Amino acid sequence: MYRIRFHGRGGQGMKTASRILGSALFLAGYEVQDAPHYGAERRGAPMHAVVRAARGPIQERGFVDRPDLVVVADEGLLAEAGAAILQGLDHHSLLLTVGREPAALWQDRLRLAGPVLALADAVIAAGERHFLGAFCAGAAARLLGVVALACLLQAVDDEVASFGEAAVARSRELAEAGWRGLEEHAGSVGEGSAAGASGQAPPDWIELQAEAGDLAAPSIHGGLSSIEVRTGLWRTQRPVIDYAHCRRCWWVCSEFCPDSAISVDADGTPTIDYAHCKGCLVCLAQCPAHAIRAVPERGASS
Amino acid sequence: MSETAFVRWRDLPRGRQLVGGAPMCAGCSGLEVLHQVLDVLGEKTVIINSAGCMSLLVSYPYSPLRGSWLYTAMASAAAGAQGMRDALDLRLAQGMPAEDDLQVMVLSGDGAAYGMGLSPASGAIERGLDFIYLVYDNEGYGNTGQQQSDATPHGAHTASCGSYRGWKKDLFAIWVAHRPAYAATLIGSEPLDLARKVDKAARLKGPRLLLALAPCPTGWDFDASATVEVGHLAVKTGIWPLKEYVDGRITHTKVPRERLPVEDYLVRQGRFRHLFEPRRDEARLGEVQAAVDAYWAELPGG
Repeated sequence: MYRIRFHGRGGQGMKTASRILGSALFLAGYEVQDAPHYGAERRGAPMHAVVRAARGPIQERGFVDRPDLVVVADEGLLAEAGAAILQGLDHHSLLLTVGREPAALWQDRLRLAGPVLALADAVIAAGERHFLGAFCAGAAARLLGVVALACLLQAVDDEVASFGEAAVARSRELAEAGWRGLEEHAGSVGEGSAAGASGQAPPDWIELQAEAGDLAAPSIHGGLSSIEVRTGLWRTQRPVIDYAHCRRCWWVCSEFCPDSAISVDADGTPTIDYAHCKGCLVCLAQCPAHAIRAVPERGASS
Repeated sequence: MSETAFVRWRDLPRGRQLVGGAPMCAGCSGLEVLHQVLDVLGEKTVIINSAGCMSLLVSYPYSPLRGSWLYTAMASAAAGAQGMRDALDLRLAQGMPAEDDLQVMVLSGDGAAYGMGLSPASGAIERGLDFIYLVYDNEGYGNTGQQQSDATPHGAHTASCGSYRGWKKDLFAIWVAHRPAYAATLIGSEPLDLARKVDKAARLKGPRLLLALAPCPTGWDFDASATVEVGHLAVKTGIWPLKEYVDGRITHTKVPRERLPVEDYLVRQGRFRHLFEPRRDEARLGEVQAAVDAYWAELPGG
């Protein structure tokens, strides 16, 4: 059985990637599961989608914890522990990163037992990140090596049709670009072995001492605790203030920032809280002096 | 307006009641409105949150709020507000200092406010409950992928109904028919108008509606940076009239001198794309324009 996880952010098309790959495998004669995993829908928040494909009935359900292939559509996610990208990767799992950095860098940083490949995303413009799904699906299909290009393109047609002809045409181009980009690695992902209850390692139990109720289940009375949540990791573009041109009309950027992530000091000078700024760029769009520009957030977020 | 504390932009609050880390989408106007409202109301506000996008505002153990938050089922926020008000009144009767009293504010999406929460809200207004009812109206069930709600406008594409044939319910008129203490429409792109209305509502007792149109990048399909711009267009095209009801009279607080054509607003959003592509749907564009024209024509001096 093939087990594949696509990791990305809400809005980058990973659900679509799983559907395209799932449909392509189905057209190639496999039984297939594909499903996105997220909580409430949040554009920019980490999410993933899974595909399972086998020649017979699939009894497994839920999270793919022993992936044969993991595709990461957004390099920035590798810095987010909560995205759980590395979960269950072993010597036979292949990690494909999509972005700018070379495979050797991730191999070195992540110290994985299995192979790492990197696919450059230069063919995808900044304004069309929602097409990443088709690109990733094409790349994944080539790595599996059991899906014909015709099946892949048919699957794109089926899954993207509701978005209109232009979306289908661009998705086909990018699916094929992903496919061609991994030509020399065709078939390098193998099927994982069947899972059964007998092969499952028992969980690592942790004995917890029983504590008094007020210690074991404290009420949370303190406010403002979300300061611990680093939503700045959602950002793909970073707004940067050019203080030489900032007019100190503090109310514009700070008032419009949905996340209260721009504070102003006594003389009206704004400061962006990059730990929490999600990179929506409302401040850039509204700054009357055009004193805010966007720079790409690259690699592991700093 | 002479009694308002908010005459000019520089009168807007500088301090922020919320901190970052809230899990709303990048560019969320609902969160933007919440910070603008709370920055005026201040810390002594207790929020009664009906299920919706803001369900995740407080995700244990993280809260971006200074004050308290009570979560209710979708239809039950007005009932929750009644219980909270009664409990505070009881404490006051038992000798709690008046300065420890709290402003009780429902926070509701349009799914609850226009639909399943309407009957309990109607009852609460009829009982004269002393509470604020803040609605972030993103015109659909945004948290679950933008299905049609009773606030969905004519012609909008949603995940459940395709292109909506019905018309947006007039919640402002429904509230006004109850003769509440106060009712106002707001939008985050007009923070000064918003602050004046919130300030006025805070000084009154009884049932008070604050109804904010909340442009939603995820559900309406536009770039997150355009949230404020889409809000401006909603006002300039006359689609979202800014008005208030107090002492039995409705006053428009910002009348566009020359209304832009509604399509300037519609064309910015993917949910209306089918009205423009593959060919213009003149009939439906005309229906939307005619409804807006009819609204303004009925006004004295319109």
